[in-house]
Amino acid sequence: MNESTRNPQQTYAGFGPEWRPAKLTDTEARAATSWVEARIDRRSMLVGKDRVEDVRDIMWQLERDGEIVVHRIGEQHEPVVARTLYGWEKRIPTNQLWHHKSCGQCGNIPGYPTTLLWLMNKLGTRYLDETDQTSCTAWNYHGSGVGNVVSLAAVFLRNFHQAYVSAKAQNLPEGYYFPLVHCGTSFGNYKEMRSFLMHSAKLREQVKPILAKLGRLVDGKLLIPEEVVHYSEWLHVMRERVKEHQIIDCGNIRATIHPACHVYKMVPEDVIYDETVLDGNRVAVSTGIVQTLGAQVIDYSTWYDCCGFGFRHIIGEREFTRSFAIDRKIKVAVEEARADVMIGHDTGCITTLDKNQWIGRAVDKVYDLPVMADCQFAALLCGAHPYKLAQLHWHASPFEGLLEKLGIDWQKSKAEFEEYLKDVAAGGRIETLYDPKRAVTSGPGFIKPATAAQRSARE
Amino acid sequence: MEEIRAAIGDPVSGSPAVPREKLEAVFEDLRSHALYEHELHGCLNCGICTATCPSAHYYDYSPREIVQLLWTENLEGIYDAMQEKIWACAQCYTCAARCPFENSPGGLVMLMREVAIKHGMQSAKDALRPFSRVLLKVISTGNQLAPNMITRDHFPDWGPNVSKVDAPLNLLRKAIPVPTLHTMDTAWEVNLKTSVELYTIWEATGVLDQLESVDENLFDVIIDVMDEKREEYAEWLEEQQESGEATA
Repeated sequence: MNESTRNPQQTYAGFGPEWRPAKLTDTEARAATSWVEARIDRRSMLVGKDRVEDVRDIMWQLERDGEIVVHRIGEQHEPVVARTLYGWEKRIPTNQLWHHKSCGQCGNIPGYPTTLLWLMNKLGTRYLDETDQTSCTAWNYHGSGVGNVVSLAAVFLRNFHQAYVSAKAQNLPEGYYFPLVHCGTSFGNYKEMRSFLMHSAKLREQVKPILAKLGRLVDGKLLIPEEVVHYSEWLHVMRERVKEHQIIDCGNIRATIHPACHVYKMVPEDVIYDETVLDGNRVAVSTGIVQTLGAQVIDYSTWYDCCGFGFRHIIGEREFTRSFAIDRKIKVAVEEARADVMIGHDTGCITTLDKNQWIGRAVDKVYDLPVMADCQFAALLCGAHPYKLAQLHWHASPFEGLLEKLGIDWQKSKAEFEEYLKDVAAGGRIETLYDPKRAVTSGPGFIKPATAAQRSARE
Repeated sequence: MEEIRAAIGDPVSGSPAVPREKLEAVFEDLRSHALYEHELHGCLNCGICTATCPSAHYYDYSPREIVQLLWTENLEGIYDAMQEKIWACAQCYTCAARCPFENSPGGLVMLMREVAIKHGMQSAKDALRPFSRVLLKVISTGNQLAPNMITRDHFPDWGPNVSKVDAPLNLLRKAIPVPTLHTMDTAWEVNLKTSVELYTIWEATGVLDQLESVDENLFDVIIDVMDEKREEYAEWLEEQQESGEATA
């Protein structure tokens, strides 16, 4: 039957013989639609807070009951308040931060942590980057299924306890540094683990003896962070201060944002949305800093899609990863949004979107879209060296055209970096962002700092 | 007829019959998982999860189907999905973010993967074979990924520009201005004490047992590495004690 002859009252095919039309009036149909929207539309959720539980309420109650200790964000951490999906307040610590690194970033795209630390130096932020930490192990879990909620929760508690006690190595009090999580999957996973631990007395019972054996309880209790904070949240609340250091104009740059699934789809109630950032219709991090620095943020139809990383697919089924990355993200960003760059805030996404473009040549899908993290982009605009600091040579996608559009002489920078490599190879001075001795806080290689009494005795 | 079917399995699919007890044991492990009720609340078959699923674009995989199989306790269907389909999920949790019932199909897939490993299913062994390098790295060091794993040999489809500056990997690593990243075998320098602490977690939470059920050879290698590192750490502790006594 063609469109012109179809009777509008007739039923549609494909619903089975039991299906009958509802024959709702317009008013009834609107009411039914409103009912659905009230349950799934984000804006209606903003005013429907009562239907969603805030896990922090349970956390504070458990502390009152004497079952846990909360690592608080104090005035010393100079918190800035942000609003999350339901309009709740989330305090983002901006100083005295413990860097919880990402295995994918450090192993693969090191300009990510490098530019973050460089920006912190620029803003006078105190921090600790140390060797006493493991990966969250959640990439492995999501990829392989090896691991479980008890192991993931124990790793979470172990690493966050280390953040709590780490300052003792510098003769500073416990709780001095607050953990800042670099990886999107770690962020999502840790938020899940905090939620599961708050809800399940059994899980708390299971992990407590493990943490006790490791010597990682506080007063015999589990230590829970007041907030789980992602580095992109720090960058978001610091965006105006970063802008004060901007020396390169980016008004001619069309930027697309790839928000990371594990940042905003896992435990979504904890994610920052801001009415001033795309009217609060997209997660605010990354978009906020890129807008503030003056680039044109271009929305695109597949912004909600994942990158194609897939956890196990990037290792063992790369045809899925590269097809999805090229067809659903890179192609759309270039053809629809005419993007100069794609900006992200997660390890796996940047890797996937950056590294999987070259193979597109095999099927004439050549898009050549630079891909980098928000902190790399921000640091470049603040004058960071593209190779020494932004470490862009680890990126497979061509970034040179973007640098030219920003007025950065990448050839000169590359030559400078190659000269620096010669110095390093010859055993010359290696430039670092902090004193390497600070990185070891216990175990082999640790040198205890002198106490005030020892220092004065020496003087 | 039933006797014939029991003996030859499903003649259409060619798969052997799975004893009812086995199907029930698998489902019981799923249903009794600590997170089962957290991830599954009901299903109206609306399909919004499948509509937004990246894997559904490329595989014979539907998160809606996974939820339906579990919700309706279709034991044969669950077992069948665990043979291949569950490994298609990309773990993006788009399905969970969209579900009006607040189900997490992605989370349910993880429970099914855990149970597939527990039962030593061939699908788990096949799916994890390319993952063995990663498993070795993360379990023995606490770091999932190392710079020397990202080479042109391992990722030829990433093209010639894995590094755009032609220099040895160790030199490029040294030139990163973050001291903890001057490493090749791990993403950052991991304190020996840290790795040893992690071993306690693996042992106490059954992770090593999981590993043994899917890859015995890898399990043996990892146990050897763990023993070596523990020994190394014990020696260091002993040295500390001796030097402390000498100072005293």
